[in-house]
Amino acid sequence: MKFLLTISLRNLLRQKRRNIFLGSAMAFGVMILITANSFSHGVSDIMFNKLIVYMTGHVGITFNEGTGRRIPIFRDKERILKVIQNNIKKDEIADVDEAIGMFCRAIGNGKADNVVVVGIDMSKQVSEELEKEYMESFNVVEGSYDDLARDDIENPVLLSRQKAESLNVKRNDVIRIRFQNVYGQDMAARAVVVGLMANDNLFMQGVLFVELKNIKKMMGYRPQECGNIQIILKNPVRDAVKTADRLHEALNPGPAFIAGTVRGAAKAGVTILPFMADNDSKRIMRESFKLASGRLDDVLAKDGVMIGRRLAGLIGAYPGSKISISFKPRFADKDASFTCKVNGIFTGPPDEEEKLIYMHESLFYKYFYSNLPDIIKDKDKAYIPPDDSPFSKALGTEWVLLDRTATTDDATKKEAQIAKKKIKAMTMDVNTMYETASDVLKLEGVLNLVTLIAVLILFFIIVLGVINTLRMSIRERTREIGTIRAIGMQKRDVRSIFILETVSLTFFASICGVVLAFIVMELLSLIKFNVVDNPMGILLLNQRLHFLPTISGIIFNILFIILIAAATAYFPSRRAAAMSAADALRHYE
Amino acid sequence: MQISIKNLYKNYQLNGLEVPAIRGIDLTIKKGEFSAIAGPSGSGKTTLLNIIGGLDRPTAGEIRVGNDDLNKLNQKELSDLRLHRIGFIFQAYNLIPVLTALENVEYVLLLQGVLKEERTTRSTRILEEVGLGEYINRFPKELSGGQQQRVAVARAIVSEPEIILADEPTANLDQKTGALLLDLMHDLNHKKNITFLFSTHDQMVMEKARRLVYLTDGTSNSDTFRGHGHFKDNKIKKKSKKKSN
Repeated sequence: MKFLLTISLRNLLRQKRRNIFLGSAMAFGVMILITANSFSHGVSDIMFNKLIVYMTGHVGITFNEGTGRRIPIFRDKERILKVIQNNIKKDEIADVDEAIGMFCRAIGNGKADNVVVVGIDMSKQVSEELEKEYMESFNVVEGSYDDLARDDIENPVLLSRQKAESLNVKRNDVIRIRFQNVYGQDMAARAVVVGLMANDNLFMQGVLFVELKNIKKMMGYRPQECGNIQIILKNPVRDAVKTADRLHEALNPGPAFIAGTVRGAAKAGVTILPFMADNDSKRIMRESFKLASGRLDDVLAKDGVMIGRRLAGLIGAYPGSKISISFKPRFADKDASFTCKVNGIFTGPPDEEEKLIYMHESLFYKYFYSNLPDIIKDKDKAYIPPDDSPFSKALGTEWVLLDRTATTDDATKKEAQIAKKKIKAMTMDVNTMYETASDVLKLEGVLNLVTLIAVLILFFIIVLGVINTLRMSIRERTREIGTIRAIGMQKRDVRSIFILETVSLTFFASICGVVLAFIVMELLSLIKFNVVDNPMGILLLNQRLHFLPTISGIIFNILFIILIAAATAYFPSRRAAAMSAADALRHYE
Repeated sequence: MQISIKNLYKNYQLNGLEVPAIRGIDLTIKKGEFSAIAGPSGSGKTTLLNIIGGLDRPTAGEIRVGNDDLNKLNQKELSDLRLHRIGFIFQAYNLIPVLTALENVEYVLLLQGVLKEERTTRSTRILEEVGLGEYINRFPKELSGGQQQRVAVARAIVSEPEIILADEPTANLDQKTGALLLDLMHDLNHKKNITFLFSTHDQMVMEKARRLVYLTDGTSNSDTFRGHGHFKDNKIKKKSKKKSN
């Protein structure tokens, strides 16, 4: 083998002109391939680690408490964070953010525009590297990014130069913003411009950035509540789906109930359970409920409750009477209370008759979410009917966990179905970038296609070049083949020499191509593009093309090209080896 | 090592027609002979040499080189036979153009797996023996025809084969250079007892060969032995030292 390699390399070095031509073509092809691949990786990096990170995160947990209007709120932030902490490995997770944004009408100096206000958590400690990345992404050219965290300024806000122009504001000017808070109330607030961004990211150009705590305050979030959660992963492509699946499993809701005290003529401990209002649940209620008093249609109405016969006797309640219920909230010291009308009295097992109140879900969740009840695990204090109880399937849960979906299309279908169901409980969805940012990912697919085309072009350069060169070479070297066969070289060694020559040439050309690619990428990165208002701006990083070559990618490309070259060289080489030595010796140019 | 040929036939296919190149040759070449096969173009000289060297297969007949029946050897065994026991010299020298004189000579040893140091020593010594000590690092295009053919002779003898088949070795050389080359080969024949078998239609080669087999239309017309003493050895040595061309 060594002597074959020696002979091949020597032939390669001695037949300079032809090899330089072919080698240059190969190096050029490799340069295109590496550059295209690195660009594609760069764009993926921008998308996965810069755009999607800010837009949707790699994995998202979204909440909706509203039916007509989307209200993204989860009432127990610590609980959700704990689930995340328990179900994602530390070395897989890069960051967890609260994603709160609101559509607003912004009024500047004599001009108004629609904007999205997005919160940034300035209190979080971030690594120097990440901070540098933030700085590059925001590219604040006037004012300061850090001023967003200032308490002495009323709602400091950062916006793009384009948006500042459309609102006719400059640094230190006041913008009035009108919006609806999480309770659906129309609100207005003042925000002071503390910085302007020169940003080439189209998704950031229409956004007003404020401190997370400020936007939460404006939107009416209480300290224990959070908005949608965005999870940034270290390896999103590998981990996003499995992380989402794991979280989905861990976020299975428990039964919803309020355990408190009911007061009528007397008082008693009670557990209030929601029954769902969809047709299936109503059918279950109709089929299994036994009423001692009242009409079932009244019972299923939204405005009242149904209490057990023993409990009714205990507190002296009857259909039409009012009862008062109080309970201990999870996040307040003072008991919460509300009153409601008794619509019916049911009969059933003694425990249920004595301890349960059934409430229509519309009414129940209003009280449940506005003052989340304390978590009670003591069975004496809270009575939950067993799973085999006829009603259990009609009872509501803490939230409704939506099924996992894989694509945007599936997610859209799912949303439409959920909208039809008119679910009264909060819905919770665990999603990944493949559902939430598929349009951006599609762009990556297009770029991969471009890379593939580059590969195909390269493939043809190599195939045609190698075949042609080998044909020429074999023709030119026919007598040489005859001679070396005459002096005793084996057929397979002749074949190996030609293949080795091609493989060696490809290898050296690939190395040159890689060097060339790095030079080209460096040069292209120096060019500054001014692509304001151009959607292609999202492919840029700081107005420059972003190339991200990877060692594994380069090695793969080189091996791939060598493989193509070897496969292409095989047949002409075999033909050369199979040539009759006597015929080859008779050959004259 | 003796070459024995019995009733040898070789036909070629040419445009669908079978053309006979050798038609029933019987020949025995004994070890150490310095023989020539002569005849006009197309008489089958080169074909005969190719068959003896295992580069071509006969259509019929028997060919033995030493104890080996060439008809029974496969391609690999034929290659091994050429590599270790037969040397070739061609009319057009057939040196590898991208290799220097030394590398051309070393090539055979490289194929035999001889280590680099020994390869270089042996090849240099042989090149010196053929009078090319000063030209070992020259490429073929930098050498004259005679020098190139001497490199070819050096390549043929470096592995110390038992037989050298020389296909019209002087055809591309002028009279004087051809004579010197013949003297050189005779000297090698004499000193190393290598069997030389030429194909030629050069009168000078015919005159200097100790045995002349004359072919016409693929058959042996005459077979003449001239005996020893035809060459004046001392003269040859002087001449080859004086002029290296």
